[in-house]
Amino acid sequence: MIRTLTVMGAMLAGTAAMAQDSVPIQPMDVNAARAELGKRMFYDERLSGDTGLACASCHSPEMAFTDGEALSAAYSGSMHFRNSPTLANVGYRAAWMHDGRLGTNLNDVAREMITETYLMNMDMRIMQERMKQDPKYVEMFAAAGMSEPSNGGARNALMDFMKTIVSRGAPVDTGDLSEAALRGQAIFEGKGNCASCHTGPRYTDDQPHNTGVADNPDIWADPERHSAFVTYAKFMGVENYMNLREDLGAYIRTHQEANKRTFLTPTLRELTWTAPYMHNGMIATLEEVVDFYDMGGGDDPLKDASLAPLGLSTDEKTDLVEYLKALSGESFDTDEYVWREDDFDYALIEDWRNVQN
Amino acid sequence: MMKHTTAIAFGMALVATPILAEMPRPDGLSALGDAPIPASNPQSDAKVELGKMLFFDPILSGNYAMPCSACHLPDAGWAIQSPISFGYPGTTHWRNSQTIVNSAYYGKLFWAGSSGNLEHQARSAARGGVAGNGEDDMMESRLAFVPEYRERFNDVFGDDWPSIRHAYDAIAAFERTIVQTDTPFDNYMNGDDAALSEQQVRGLDLFAGKAGCIECHNGPLLSDEKYYNTGVPAYSGWEDDEIAQITFRFELYAKGSTEAMYRSTKDDPGLYFRTKETGDKGKFRTPSLRYTAFTYPYMHNGMLETLRDVVDFYNAGGGTNDFADNKSALIQPLGLSDGEVDDLVAFLESLSGEELLVEEPDLPEMQPLPAAMAAN
Repeated sequence: MIRTLTVMGAMLAGTAAMAQDSVPIQPMDVNAARAELGKRMFYDERLSGDTGLACASCHSPEMAFTDGEALSAAYSGSMHFRNSPTLANVGYRAAWMHDGRLGTNLNDVAREMITETYLMNMDMRIMQERMKQDPKYVEMFAAAGMSEPSNGGARNALMDFMKTIVSRGAPVDTGDLSEAALRGQAIFEGKGNCASCHTGPRYTDDQPHNTGVADNPDIWADPERHSAFVTYAKFMGVENYMNLREDLGAYIRTHQEANKRTFLTPTLRELTWTAPYMHNGMIATLEEVVDFYDMGGGDDPLKDASLAPLGLSTDEKTDLVEYLKALSGESFDTDEYVWREDDFDYALIEDWRNVQN
Repeated sequence: MMKHTTAIAFGMALVATPILAEMPRPDGLSALGDAPIPASNPQSDAKVELGKMLFFDPILSGNYAMPCSACHLPDAGWAIQSPISFGYPGTTHWRNSQTIVNSAYYGKLFWAGSSGNLEHQARSAARGGVAGNGEDDMMESRLAFVPEYRERFNDVFGDDWPSIRHAYDAIAAFERTIVQTDTPFDNYMNGDDAALSEQQVRGLDLFAGKAGCIECHNGPLLSDEKYYNTGVPAYSGWEDDEIAQITFRFELYAKGSTEAMYRSTKDDPGLYFRTKETGDKGKFRTPSLRYTAFTYPYMHNGMLETLRDVVDFYNAGGGTNDFADNKSALIQPLGLSDGEVDDLVAFLESLSGEELLVEEPDLPEMQPLPAAMAAN
């Protein structure tokens, strides 16, 4: 009996997963006060060591929380070696970072972003005391049920804010698909074979694949990027990191040859906001992305075997691009997602000697 | 006329010398000799030259903008001439920046003696959240991108790629050359009776006698490198500077406090952070008095502006801070007259020679790493 129920449950779950392809992403359950606190923090440059960067510096709401660059900016004195990913539906991800090296939760993601030396380079013990020096934070932490600003509370607040970033109103969800987009959908699920990896409501299997995306030479041409990459590779325990001239992707998790240059399948939600594409921004437009896969992906001896030339006609490619565009929803540049006030100030604690720290 | 004056001066000196020579030099003080060089980090010209470059190079900081010299400026006494060092951008430091001059002689670096040598001190300063805020892996990576550093680290240390530990070694070697051993005081102690004025000699007598300074400020460095609470009052910025309030709480938290202590402490516990002994709260390592003409303001938190203020402070029996129970019994009112205060200040001035300045080096920059090196 128990076994029967389990099997039925599995079947139901399977059915539900497939059906989700055409339903909107559901809002996630969050503590609203905590999310509001996280929203203010997301736009606060005081969360970086030298107060030069906020989360929003590289995850701008105007671009579905990306930065429009092939390779992202980074902390003063560094530049990044990867493309800034969208935060749309980030709470539903199974793992984070293009190499998937963070597999726990968004609390840990927030910590990684804030403390990593080439990202925000923040000693979170200083961050905590900065927040305690801002009466607005003191008030917001209390409103969120926390006694005072703290590192752990801050990370939970950022996590809750990130969970609120959910796609809304995409034609694929509203059913408002053009004829061309409908034809494109058929190609996406059929001849194009896109759905073999870009599956589920977020259009990703959350797995690493090698699609043969070309190396981005700007990483090695710019010592500020390359030195950040060396720092990363050294920390990840990659052999011979000084002589590396390629991004090994998820290899850093397994150190298995077969995983070299594999990167997590990205979501296809919000593509119209998030150019350029791929983990290193090497492809500028959706048309070029479709051309890339039509040719069977790039050139790599370890390329995923499921990639093969597709033989799409010009019209089919146009239709496919129309479908991809239909996966994008409304702008995130709204009051719901943006802290509009420039109120990031400290206040002197009066009567310092008599107030508890 | 000129010849006549010279003759008189010469004659006076002849007369004066036997008198001064009869005056014994006080026990417990001596001229400064050569700086000790640790066997683990021998000096070489090439290492010192590399260390000099690194001392001035912002590459050894989190944001590529905060060299050692940012808070140890040669033309500010190799320190910062304000009460508290300004610290990393977005923060302020919480203690007074100490001079590099003669730091080679200390066995205990930082105000609470948390580093045992200059190599360790350089690393701590480069990495501290309110100092350099750098991370070793990142700083080491950057060094590898500077062709001139690759060459120099290879030449000096045999490194295939620059090692961050060797960077700190080189900086320490450079700092061991920033010494001053020819002050009027040193010359006097070495037998030049004319090196100190009569007033300074009177000041020296007070220093070693009535004023009791020598109890702690002794030896060639004029520091016993022990820890005392002399009652220096808390830093005033904690009352009126919101950034300083942030840093103060951070230090309480980061250096290890109980919850109760974190909530209630309003003054720098100093040595306590290293020993966790309540009786060590408010204690700081006796600083050298050398080069102090250039290193104002004074004390671990810069709360005294001039050498006269310092002498007045001790003449009054020190001050009062939050850790009054730990105040040293050695600190008692001295009963110095105004004239004696003048004499003591005049003597303290003899502990500084000429201002030490160096020509700042041209700094090399990061370059792309040649692909050819991948074949190495």
